[in-house]
Amino acid sequence: MEKKLSRVANTFTPSPIQELSHLAQRCNAINLAEGFPDFPAAPAIKSAAVSAINSDFNQYRHVQGICELLARNAKEMYGLEVDPDTDIAICCGQTEAFAAAMFAIIDPGDEVVLFDPCYETYEGCIRLAGGIPVYVALEPPHWTLDAEKFMSSFTGRTKAVILNSPQNPTGKVFTWNELEIIAEACRSRDCLAVTDEVYEHITYDNVKHVTLSLLPGMQQRTIITSSVSKTFGVTGWRIGWAIANPIVASAIRNIHVKLTDSAPAPFQEAALTALSSGPDYFESLRRDYESKRDYSIQLLTGIGFQIRFKPQGSFFLFAELPESSPLSDVGASLALTDPKTKVAFLTLIIPCLLVLMVQVEYVKHLIEQAGVVAVPGRGFFHFNSVSSESEESLSACHDYQKRYIRFAFCKSSATLEAAAQGLSELVDTKGCLNLPPPCKTDT
Amino acid sequence: MLESQCTWTHSPPPTMSRPLSFLLNNPSSPFPRTFPLRQLFINSTRSLTPAAAPIFRRPSLMAALSTVSVPHPDKDATAAVTPNSSQTQHPLQVAKRLEKFKTTIFTQMSMLAIKHGAINLGQGFPNFDGPDFVKEAAIQAIKDGKNQYARGFGVPDCNAAIAERFKKDTGLVVDPDKEITVTSGCTEAIAATMLGLINPGDEVIVFAPFYDSYEATLSMAGAQVKSITLRPPDFAVPLDEFKSAISKNTRAVLINTPHNPTGKMFTREELDTIASLCIENDVLVFSDEVYDKLAFEADHISMASLPGMYERTVTLNSLGKTFSLTGWKIGWAIAPPHLTWGVRQAHSYLTFATSTPMQSAAAVALRAPDSYYE
Repeated sequence: MEKKLSRVANTFTPSPIQELSHLAQRCNAINLAEGFPDFPAAPAIKSAAVSAINSDFNQYRHVQGICELLARNAKEMYGLEVDPDTDIAICCGQTEAFAAAMFAIIDPGDEVVLFDPCYETYEGCIRLAGGIPVYVALEPPHWTLDAEKFMSSFTGRTKAVILNSPQNPTGKVFTWNELEIIAEACRSRDCLAVTDEVYEHITYDNVKHVTLSLLPGMQQRTIITSSVSKTFGVTGWRIGWAIANPIVASAIRNIHVKLTDSAPAPFQEAALTALSSGPDYFESLRRDYESKRDYSIQLLTGIGFQIRFKPQGSFFLFAELPESSPLSDVGASLALTDPKTKVAFLTLIIPCLLVLMVQVEYVKHLIEQAGVVAVPGRGFFHFNSVSSESEESLSACHDYQKRYIRFAFCKSSATLEAAAQGLSELVDTKGCLNLPPPCKTDT
Repeated sequence: MLESQCTWTHSPPPTMSRPLSFLLNNPSSPFPRTFPLRQLFINSTRSLTPAAAPIFRRPSLMAALSTVSVPHPDKDATAAVTPNSSQTQHPLQVAKRLEKFKTTIFTQMSMLAIKHGAINLGQGFPNFDGPDFVKEAAIQAIKDGKNQYARGFGVPDCNAAIAERFKKDTGLVVDPDKEITVTSGCTEAIAATMLGLINPGDEVIVFAPFYDSYEATLSMAGAQVKSITLRPPDFAVPLDEFKSAISKNTRAVLINTPHNPTGKMFTREELDTIASLCIENDVLVFSDEVYDKLAFEADHISMASLPGMYERTVTLNSLGKTFSLTGWKIGWAIAPPHLTWGVRQAHSYLTFATSTPMQSAAAVALRAPDSYYE
């Protein structure tokens, strides 16, 4: 009955990140894969949700106060003028805001430019709306934007650019100059921009997040999407929003209503408390995550991972495999001798070429031997990246795409220390990570 | 009670707290003194609340209006849209599919109701609240820290409870992990089903009048819609018309029983006829049964329970109507694995996951003893 599925649904595959999380759970491993905290959310915010339920805020609702607060925060934090009555749509998380934005602006055949590597979900939304993703590779090791490469990705069918900053998985925060390059492309080609700013309050080393909307000529053509999830550690509440000019915001609102009708009512109420947080909250959030970042960098570099780009934002580390890591053929044959590993391997991630095996095997070894789970970087890269034409650099391209693993450090100190413990047990006398062949273990 | 439990700076006047709860000013405003009494305007919802009184089973103005495009809010004096001066400088770049999408009639009527101080019998949500034991479960889940991403297709215990409930109601045994997808309300279950299982150009048969989100999501999926009008006064299915409408080219039939807005329940004979024609022509059925617990005279019959139908049916339902907790947004789709796959794919890109604490509470709710449902 596969023919009963829509064409689009048939092209989709399960999320590698979620699958690895399940493997981690089954192996009781420390989960540094999925991007959510394992420490509790702030008590005041949880109390607000509890109060809302007790006070009978349990029916369909749109809490206009959220829009008022978002407009106030946009003004105070970014200097952006937003009309709370017309420019904002409250959605079930940034995910739904983004999906609604795609349905609002993308017609079948429209091209959408994205940067590579990037979060796995954007492409799915674009395709669901009938759009065609076009990837522009950011240059490793510092993930810089090449203006020429970027501009050459635009065609007559380009409708929008997607910008995630601070970025998942690299932790990059786009600079003003890079934003200006993007803005210039949008203005000159009359394109829209859709931003994902969920990590807007998680930046380090005094790097400031700048919203693309601020650049000249951009506010009317930019859709900002964000949420309470990452800032307030409540990823399971599903409260997000889109901010755009009144026509687009209205379109997004109307689509949202047809997709889900409303965001969960008690959590909308709780969001009022969250969004009223003062500067102290955001300061301590930043400081806290910064120290976790520094600890994680030290831990991973100490055991041989290369971190040539220090994350400036988000709570992810995109680390390069140690130079000593086994190459694909060795790793693959070791894995395939164990039938259980083979099955887990085959079902774990998108069926692929050998390029995938290196990272997947590495990650599986980490789970089984060190009790730590992370995400193979391959899932964030895409094959049709616009990049240099020469064969040599194309294969260099694919080479680097095999070498990254994403670690989430939005975890309690206890978790990070336990991860350090697990990993340190695998370090050999030279201080490098040494992974013995997988043993024939139980589940 | 509000004052002792709220963390807000401003509580609403006690006389306003029931029953017209949607008229409450927002006590959470950080600027209670500078801003006037704020009105929470309620977003669009299903237009029927059968639990309230039998009068809602008559077709209403809402029914006739729900299937047509409605005026843009700019023309409505109560709407708060202020034109942006920069609008004239850039072309309208919204997608073509939005030609069918306007602010819903529900939102407009609600705003008018607020403006004129009218009692709102338009929107499909109760003005009494959910049972305490369910609310307590949600509160406990929040306190226990269940505030992070749930498994995308549902918290395991929630899926299990849905399966148990479905077995009690229909006798069908389903695998909670392979055949159930939890979504943000039945609305999202409908959207995910359409987007996951319908291709542009596919023919879908619907029975009019119908709930407004069907047309919208069918349009998003690019479906060719064939509408068959139910026949007053009892809104019977015109079976001859249906027989000639359905063919091997039809991809799916969408039914809603008990029916919004008429309150009609599809009879056994109607369901049997629809079922046999679907089997004959290899057609799917999307069955919106969100009001299944609010049946008064006849027993509700689930399409999936008819012989030969489970393998081709997606059954859609939610917590909201049965438990008067419409704002919690917990819905689900039950379907055989090959159809569930499509629903899950679309769902994962629409909302990724459904609110976690509410799912824990849903599991408690769904295991409520049968006496609750009487």
